[in-house]
Amino acid sequence: MAKRRGRGISRRDFVKLTTTGAIAAGLGPAMHFGQAPQKTLKILQWSHFVPAFDTWFNGTFTKQWGQKHDTVVTVDNINLVDLNTRAASEVSARKGHDLFMFLSPPAAYEKQTIDMTHVYQEVEKKHGKKIELGHRSTYNPKTRRYFAFSDAYTPDPGNWHKDWWAEAGFPNGPDTYDDLRAGAKKIRDKTGHPCGIGLSQELDSSMAMRALLWSFGGAEQDEQGNVTINSKNTIEALKFMKALYQESETAEVFTWTPPSNNQAMLAGRVSYVANAISVTRQSEREHLPIDSKIMISPALKGPVRRIAAEHVMNCYVIWEFAENKEGAQQFLIDYMDSFHDGFVAGQFYNFPCFPSLVPNLKQEIANDPRATPPDKYKVLGNVLDWATNVGYPGYATAAIDEAFKTWVIPTMFAKVARGDETPENAAKAAEEEYKRIFARWK
Amino acid sequence: MAIGAPKIKSIGAAQSPLLGAAMFGPAVLYIVLVIGAPFVLAVFYAFSDARIGSSGLHFVGLENFRSILQSPSFRTALKNSIVFTVCAQAIVVVCSGTLSIALEKPFRGRGLVRFLILLPWVAPVSLGSIGWKWILDSIYSVITWVLVWLHFFKPYNTPMWLGEPHLAMASVILVHCWRLIPFSTVVMLAGRTAIPKEIPEAAAIDGAGFWRTLFQINLPMMLPIINVAVLFGTIFTFTDMTVVYILTAGGPFDSTQTLPSLAFATGIQGSDLAAGAAISLFLVPVLVLIAYLMLRMAHRAEVV
Repeated sequence: MAKRRGRGISRRDFVKLTTTGAIAAGLGPAMHFGQAPQKTLKILQWSHFVPAFDTWFNGTFTKQWGQKHDTVVTVDNINLVDLNTRAASEVSARKGHDLFMFLSPPAAYEKQTIDMTHVYQEVEKKHGKKIELGHRSTYNPKTRRYFAFSDAYTPDPGNWHKDWWAEAGFPNGPDTYDDLRAGAKKIRDKTGHPCGIGLSQELDSSMAMRALLWSFGGAEQDEQGNVTINSKNTIEALKFMKALYQESETAEVFTWTPPSNNQAMLAGRVSYVANAISVTRQSEREHLPIDSKIMISPALKGPVRRIAAEHVMNCYVIWEFAENKEGAQQFLIDYMDSFHDGFVAGQFYNFPCFPSLVPNLKQEIANDPRATPPDKYKVLGNVLDWATNVGYPGYATAAIDEAFKTWVIPTMFAKVARGDETPENAAKAAEEEYKRIFARWK
Repeated sequence: MAIGAPKIKSIGAAQSPLLGAAMFGPAVLYIVLVIGAPFVLAVFYAFSDARIGSSGLHFVGLENFRSILQSPSFRTALKNSIVFTVCAQAIVVVCSGTLSIALEKPFRGRGLVRFLILLPWVAPVSLGSIGWKWILDSIYSVITWVLVWLHFFKPYNTPMWLGEPHLAMASVILVHCWRLIPFSTVVMLAGRTAIPKEIPEAAAIDGAGFWRTLFQINLPMMLPIINVAVLFGTIFTFTDMTVVYILTAGGPFDSTQTLPSLAFATGIQGSDLAAGAAISLFLVPVLVLIAYLMLRMAHRAEVV
């Protein structure tokens, strides 16, 4: 025995010690010695195109909110193209984040989300009415419930190369679709630089094609939700896009992913793109020589109206199976109190759905020391005069959501632009596809 | 006998029904959980009105099949799946057959060449596809850059590898070949080394040249192993969506969409689970036929 003691520890003691240690390690995290377990709030949203926003949201705001509400807040940022796939897997597993942010109206998920009327009411009590764009993107008039809460939207202006457009006779850039066609052709013929309106199965192309469609008087549906895609106006818009593509674009626009038009503009390759201000924000951040050459213009005017879709629409949903529904709702209400900080941190990328949150928006964006010239973003001051929702002139319904996510509109335009379909046949094929989708959601 | 007795005993134990079931069980469980359950679920969804966001299901008969057959995207995807598989397999068989001949006889650096050829198969398919996406990118393509540098094309009038429907389909097929050729080469190399050396030697003595030996001796003797490579390759190609999804996402305008990528786009991204499941079920007849052929070949090999 003495010999054993001399060795330090007996086999029995070793078993006792390790067993006790293992049990303590296993139970340790669950034992708080009388304290209630700390609440958690899990948020999923995209990796913002302006990274400074994520720095503020993840590193400052959510931490402060978590300390105030004794909650551990975790934020997962993922690539925007993975949002729908991730949402599908969370819904299938009925487990995931408490707050999930989509970038387009997620009406197809309505039955899996809680009604956001309460959140809207609480925010409106403090900050006044929301804009119509936010309402139409998150409300289902049939069920009379809000399936999502929209805090912000992003304008979808034009980005154009100052020198080339000035040489083409448009010193202020294109103002109408006719200007775009004439100027882009001149630039293409003279310098070789193509126009960069996307025709791919992705978000930016989808928004650009909707803007073109609406500006020519076409639409996917009417206000009552009837399919109206096959119209004379749509055919005119298709003819325009075919001419623009054949005169001024290259097949690269069929290959694009959401960052592609940013890359093409910043690489000094294309003369015009329809995109959010992420293009210029990147050139400012990276001090690119082209920064002072890229200018911003409002949506182009078509034969019928000047209109464009929002570029992205922040739509927060709270899953019906979320573990911390109350916390998620409170988070959104409190987030609106700090919206202005996010607006500044995000370098004006997120425009408010509650105008009173940024009361001096026009003045703030009209003088930005980062921009060259400082009033580069001034043209976005009247964005609500020309920005509208996906599904215009109706609501963003579940059928519209599916048509949006299966890229019916950019596919229709792309087939005509390349000459694979006549405008009439493409409009007819799109009508059949819309009717098929609408029938499935009745 | 003293040595043989325990051997007989252990064989007897292996023949015990309980032990047999216990050893067979994990494989059955694996197949039921990972293949059987999702397949039954897909069939179930295909005859229902399941949506990603819906909370209940209703039986809708053949409605989903009727609906997708009307869709031009589906018809394109079905045609593309066949073209994609047939073209990819034809290229893979020719290239891997050639490589297996080149790599059969020893030469300096053969080990390194074999290692390099095997790399695309070892690397994750997603990683390889992302690499190819950059190589074929519309702005930063290194191939395009070289072609412009050699003055074959002007800077703003270059081929768009993923932007022209035929070029995009060719790119998808070639990237798939790049991935499958190593696997097929290894299988064919194994087949070639299994041919008894005396036969081609005897043919050479009788005056048979390279081509005659190849077509009348080597290929017929390798046919069973070529079939294995082709059948495996067909399954990999016909069911793959990674290469299409990463390279083109089905574009331009659905021209490279295949059945798996369309099923994913419709069912998961488009929220229409039922239609996605119905599209994926169109893969089943082809896969069943391949499974039947493979089992038949395996059975023949056992008999031989």
